[in-house]
Amino acid sequence: MQTDNSNNDSTTPSGLRKARLAFAISAGKLAGASGRLFHIGGGTSLPGMIARRIDPNVLKSVVGGSKAKKIVITGSNGKTTTARMTAAIADAAGRSVSQNRTGSNLLQGITSVAVNFSDFFGRMESDVLLFEIDEATIPLAVPEIQPDVVVITNIFRDQLDRYGELYAVARALDEMLESLPETATILLNGNDPQVANFGRNAKAKRIFFGLETKDIGTPVPEQSADIIRCIHCNSDFTYEVAYLSHLGLYRCPECGYTLPDLDLAVTGATLAENGEGPSKITLRTPEGEMNLEIPLPGIHNIYNAVAAIGAAMAAGFPLDSVQTALSNIRTAFGRMEKIQAGDKTIYLSFVKNPTSFNLMLRLIAQHPGKKHLLLAMSHTVVDGQDFAWLWDVEFEDLVSDILDAVCSGNKTEELAMRLKYAEVSTDKISLIEDREAALDAALKQVEPGGTLYIMSGYTPTQELRRIMQKRGWVKHFWEE
Amino acid sequence: MSENKTDTGMVIKIGHLYPTLMSVAADRGNLFSIERRCKWRGIATEVEPIFVKQTPDFTKYDLILFHGGADREMEIASRDIQHKASSLREAAESNTVFLSVCAGYQLLGHYYKPFNGPELKGVGLFDMYTEGGSTRFMTHMALECKFEETGTKILVGYENHSGRTYLGPKAQPLGKVLAGWGNNGKDGVEGARYKNAFGTYTHGPVLPKNPWLTDLLIQRSLEHRYGKVKLLPLDDSTENAAHAAALKLAMEFKGTMSAIEATSWKR
Ligand SMILES: [Zn+2]
Repeated sequence: MQTDNSNNDSTTPSGLRKARLAFAISAGKLAGASGRLFHIGGGTSLPGMIARRIDPNVLKSVVGGSKAKKIVITGSNGKTTTARMTAAIADAAGRSVSQNRTGSNLLQGITSVAVNFSDFFGRMESDVLLFEIDEATIPLAVPEIQPDVVVITNIFRDQLDRYGELYAVARALDEMLESLPETATILLNGNDPQVANFGRNAKAKRIFFGLETKDIGTPVPEQSADIIRCIHCNSDFTYEVAYLSHLGLYRCPECGYTLPDLDLAVTGATLAENGEGPSKITLRTPEGEMNLEIPLPGIHNIYNAVAAIGAAMAAGFPLDSVQTALSNIRTAFGRMEKIQAGDKTIYLSFVKNPTSFNLMLRLIAQHPGKKHLLLAMSHTVVDGQDFAWLWDVEFEDLVSDILDAVCSGNKTEELAMRLKYAEVSTDKISLIEDREAALDAALKQVEPGGTLYIMSGYTPTQELRRIMQKRGWVKHFWEE
Repeated sequence: MSENKTDTGMVIKIGHLYPTLMSVAADRGNLFSIERRCKWRGIATEVEPIFVKQTPDFTKYDLILFHGGADREMEIASRDIQHKASSLREAAESNTVFLSVCAGYQLLGHYYKPFNGPELKGVGLFDMYTEGGSTRFMTHMALECKFEETGTKILVGYENHSGRTYLGPKAQPLGKVLAGWGNNGKDGVEGARYKNAFGTYTHGPVLPKNPWLTDLLIQRSLEHRYGKVKLLPLDDSTENAAHAAALKLAMEFKGTMSAIEATSWKR
C-alpha cells in the first residue's frame, strides 16, 4: 500500500493537507455521481478509487476524525447479511449508520464510504461506521480504520486464487487481531475451530458466539467441510453436532481442544420446514435469555443474526429492540431474493463458494416440486479465475428434481460440464452465454405461476439484477 | 448422456489416497470424471478410500488417485506415506496407473523443501524433487502431450503452486508448456511420467476438461487387468467446449504470473 505517506504529513502544511483531502473527497463524490449517471458498476468502488489516488490517507483521515463506533465484519460467508442486521439493530436503537455497500468490500469500496458519507471537509456525522471487509483486505484496512469491534463470522475455503491458502488467511487475520488495542472487542464464532482459536494473544477482549443446541444439525460434517482436523495436533475432530460445514460442537480426542464457553449461545432452535419461513431461536446472552424469530431461512441466518446481536452488544447498543429490528430485515441483495416477474416467481441467489452454493441448493430442495434453474458464472476480478470449486458443489443431490437448467456467463461450458457429470441429462441443459437471452430462455421454460431458481456468481448476479431492474421487477440496489 | 451401455463385465479397482486430507482444489472432480465415463461405457468402478495409518497392498489397484492439499495437510501426508512408500513404488513398477496432482504429485518425488520449513520426504516413485519458491504461479495453463494411443494432444488446466519441480533422468515430463509455467517456470515442461504413473500441477480439476486423458487413464487401467481393450467412443461435445474455452483463456493469459491480478476491471 502507498499509505506510508502518513509520516510526511507532519512536514506538509496542514492547510495543504486539508485541501488535498477536500479535493480527494470532491473528486470521489463526482466520480460516484457520474458512475451512477452512466450506470457503471453501481458507483460503489469508483469514488474510493479516485479519492485514494489523490490522497492515499483519505480513509484514515475521515475515519480517524470521526467519533463513531467503528465495527468491522469479516469472514468467508455471511458478512453482508450480518452487516445488514447489525445496521438494523443500531438503527432501531436510534443510532445513525454509515456502511459500505454489497460487494464493495475491497479497499476502494471501503474508502467510498468515507467519501460518500462525509462532507467535503471529511467530517462525518454518523454514530456508527459499519464495514464488511473481505478476509484478504483486512490486513490493509484495519490499520486505517482502527475498529472498536471486529466480528469474524467463519472461515471457509473460498476462492483459493484470491486468498492463498486457508491457513495463510488465518495467520493474517490473527496478526490483525493481535494489533488491536485493549479497548477493542473481538467477536468470534466459537463453533468454528479455527476462528475460536483466533486472538489468543490479543490485548483486546474476546467474546464468543455460536450454537449449542441439539435441536438442529447433523452428526457428522458434510463432504466439503474444510477444517475437520485439530488445529493444534492434527487429529481428526469428533463432532457432537455439525451445524454447517465444519461449524459445530467439536472436540479433539487427542489434545482435548474444544469450543470455548459461548457468551452468546443459541440453546434452542426450530427451522421452518418449507425452507422459506422464519426460524425460532432461544438465545442466552450475558443480559439474559431472548426468544427471537429470524425472518430469513436456514442455519446460516441464525449465525448471521447472533453475530449481529453480538456486534451490537459489543458496541454498547441497547438490545431491547432487537426483535423489531430483525423482523424488518428483508433478504439481502441476491440471497434467495424473491422477485415477481409477471406471472412467474424468481428466487435469485448469489453463490460464490461450495458452502454458499450447497446452502442454497439445500434450501431449494425443500421447496416442493421439480425445479427450473438458471446458473451463471463469470471469471472477473471479483469472481476469480479458478472455478474448480464447482466440483465441490453437491449438484448430485438435486439432480432428480431438475426439469431444465440454463447455463450462462463466460463460464457457461464449465457449468454445463459440471451438470453433465452430476448426470443431469444433456437435453435438459442449454448453454446461453448472454445474460439477458439466458434469463428469457429460462423464464420461457417456466409455466405460468411457476418458479425459476437463479444461482449465480457476483458479477452475473449484478448483471441479471440490472436487467430485472430495467424491466421494473426489482429496485436498483443502492436505493434499498 | 446418462443412458447406460450394456454391461461389459469389466471393473477398474481404484485406490483413492487421502480422500479427505488431500482434497483442496475440488480434485474429486477427477474421480467423478473416471467413474461417469466408465459407467457410460458399462464398465464398473470400485473405489477404496485409503486414509492415514492404513497400509494396503497397492499392487491390487489398477488406478491410484493422489490429489492436492495445503502445506499442513502435506506434512501429515508426508509422514504417513513413508509407511506406504515401498508398496506404492512396487505398484508403479507393475504398471498400476497413477494420477497425482499438485501436492500429491510433489510427494511422489524424492522430497519437497518448502520455502521456509523443514524438508518433507516423498515416495521416490518419480525421479524428481521440489523446492518452494518465493512467488506463486496462479494462472491458466496449456500443454502439448504425446502418447502412443492418442497422438499429440493439448492438456488444459489451472496451476496454483509455489513449488519448483526438477526432473531427474528417470522421469519424463508429461508435456511441453504452451502457456503457463509448469514444473519450475524455466525448463518449459510440466508434470512427470514414469511407466503408467502421471503427475501434474494442472487442476481445475484436470480430467473433466481433458476427456482424452481420462480415457487414456481408463484404458491403461483396464489393460492393467485385462490386456488390450478398445474403449467405446462417447459424445464429448460438452467437454470439448469446456476444453476450448480453457485453451482460449490459457493463450489470453500467457506470460502472466497470476491470472486474477492480470484480469482487467472491464472483463
Ligand atoms: Zn488436538
